[in-house]
Amino acid sequence: MPRWGMVIDLDKCTACQACVVACQAENNVPFVGEREYERSRSISWMNVLRETEGVYPDVKIRYIPRPCMQCDNPPCTRVCPVHATYLNPEGIVAQVYYRCIGCRFCVAACPYTVKYFNWYDYHDRMPAESRKSDSPDVTPRPKGVVEKCTFCHHRLMKAKDRAAMEKREVAEGEYIPACAEVCPAKAISFGDLSDEKSHVSRLAKSSRAFRLMEDLGTKPKVIYLAEQTNNG
Amino acid sequence: MGSLVAFFADGIKQVFRGDRLYWAWLVGLVAVIANGAYYYGQQLQQGLIVTGLSDQVSWGVYIANFTYLVGVAAAAVMLVIPAYIFDREDIKHVVLIGEGVAVAAVTMTILFVTVDLGRPDRIWHMLPLLGRFNFPQSMLAWDVLVLTGYLFLNLTIPFYMLFVKYRGGEPNFAVYFPGVLISIFWAISIHTVTAFLFSSNVARPFWNTAILGPRFLASAFTSGPALIVLALQVIDRFTAFKVHRPVIDFMALIITVSLQINLFLLGVEFFTEFYFPTEKGIASHYLFFGVNGFNALVPWIWTAFGFNVVAAFILTIHPLRARRALLNVACALAIVGVWIEKGMGLIIPGFVPTPIGEMFNYSPSQVEVFVSLGIWAAGLLVFTILTKIALPIELGTLVWVPGGTRSRYPGGPHGAASPGHPQRPQPQQPAAPEGERP
Repeated sequence: MPRWGMVIDLDKCTACQACVVACQAENNVPFVGEREYERSRSISWMNVLRETEGVYPDVKIRYIPRPCMQCDNPPCTRVCPVHATYLNPEGIVAQVYYRCIGCRFCVAACPYTVKYFNWYDYHDRMPAESRKSDSPDVTPRPKGVVEKCTFCHHRLMKAKDRAAMEKREVAEGEYIPACAEVCPAKAISFGDLSDEKSHVSRLAKSSRAFRLMEDLGTKPKVIYLAEQTNNG
Repeated sequence: MGSLVAFFADGIKQVFRGDRLYWAWLVGLVAVIANGAYYYGQQLQQGLIVTGLSDQVSWGVYIANFTYLVGVAAAAVMLVIPAYIFDREDIKHVVLIGEGVAVAAVTMTILFVTVDLGRPDRIWHMLPLLGRFNFPQSMLAWDVLVLTGYLFLNLTIPFYMLFVKYRGGEPNFAVYFPGVLISIFWAISIHTVTAFLFSSNVARPFWNTAILGPRFLASAFTSGPALIVLALQVIDRFTAFKVHRPVIDFMALIITVSLQINLFLLGVEFFTEFYFPTEKGIASHYLFFGVNGFNALVPWIWTAFGFNVVAAFILTIHPLRARRALLNVACALAIVGVWIEKGMGLIIPGFVPTPIGEMFNYSPSQVEVFVSLGIWAAGLLVFTILTKIALPIELGTLVWVPGGTRSRYPGGPHGAASPGHPQRPQPQQPAAPEGERP
């Protein structure tokens, strides 16, 4: 059984936000408009966090692309009272929109703030033209439920279907999420962490490798490679 | 069977009897509930966008009230223990009022959780057996179980006591005592589980502390009995039901000790957070002093602190506490103080700053305020109705007369008959149709 994981090389990342845009398009993540953005009700499964150190002119800024960490020990699945979110056998933290009651306990429990609540019917309020470009592979979410990054799970389904038809296993590189696919700097690698020989497994063993808030014991499957330069 | 039907029929009749002041009170409550229902309708239609909540602060005033009211519900145990375990007759006399407060408070907690849900139409997913329940992992699943269980206990035990009295008998110790014992442990558990709801979040250092459970209990046993003291005096003043002075004094003592412990625990927390401030203490800093201009909670928490200290001062000094007016002031201060401290002062700093360091000020929207007021009014209505039925039975003025019931004297507790000592039966007064003042 594969354990899907991601390695993000912060040295290569230019914070161009291509991953953010690709994710929005791929997963029908709605645009909320300026007003709701200012009230902090925006949804972005993949988000580029900015960390600022010091004040101008002696300032250092670090950018960290942040999808769902797909923890092996996820705090969010534990707190859900109705099994609407769970860790699937391949290590992806799934959200069942039709079970979710919208209590937002998982939002409170997630240390990485990757759980997004639908404050209203975002999709109904999108312009009709933009809805024509909705992806048919991904369900739009109704109001009142929580949604999150799924590592583009529908792509895994497609890859598995293809492999099954050709009577083989899913090959390396056959299934990668949209963010990894579009990254122009090749900062995002994706693959099977349980396969010792896979590219991500080798990167994950790098001395630069770290995980976000490792001390919490959440065991994220998104691994970062630290920047090597010291003077920014 | 006949007596059961008569019990409910008499109970319902009793609710519709009362003087002008009683009706004005009911109409007022219903108006506030209707207003809340109207605003909740808007929230249902448009979603939680009509609240002041955001991605950063995803729980607000609804959950704050929920947390506070679980404490109030648990506090009924402070009447149950002396009444049934230490057999204090005077407290046994008023224990039903405490249980009424518990029922009203649990009803409110359930309503507050429901209005906080994004999908209330799926609330049945949380019902044991019907839905697929994440038990025993999810603390919210535990909370649903303990709250419904507590509601059940606090409905059945008083129902049994009242029904037996209504039929003119004496409650059977072997029947009610096991239920009472369970309800005592249950009361502690509802508030402990609610504390665990928060303290189990590793990502939220402000909540993730072992002292949260004890703090919840200390503040609950402050504000709950304070509410009961005020309720007892209102009942004493406006109904034929008389509350003895030692009962109030006993509750005042409980409030005093609990408030002192509550302040002590706050001090302990304060020391730990500020002796050597770490990054995990930013939330406390935000709450008490503000961070980088984000200081929405600062005036609130210091108000709460001031209220609690003044209340503790009044309560701790015996001559002051003995004066009824000052005791009431202290109770009111403690109720508001704990409401702020354990409501907004607990929920919001859990979210600000977020685990990744974002700052965000939250303030409730108009919808949240009106819906909350509506739920409080609903709780008061439940309490009013329960006591309206329970008190005349407790007084022995509403009893079952096979083949048609009649009050022993007209008017019931809201009637004109001057009560004197509650237990003493009143001389028969002629005429005057039921439910009207002569």
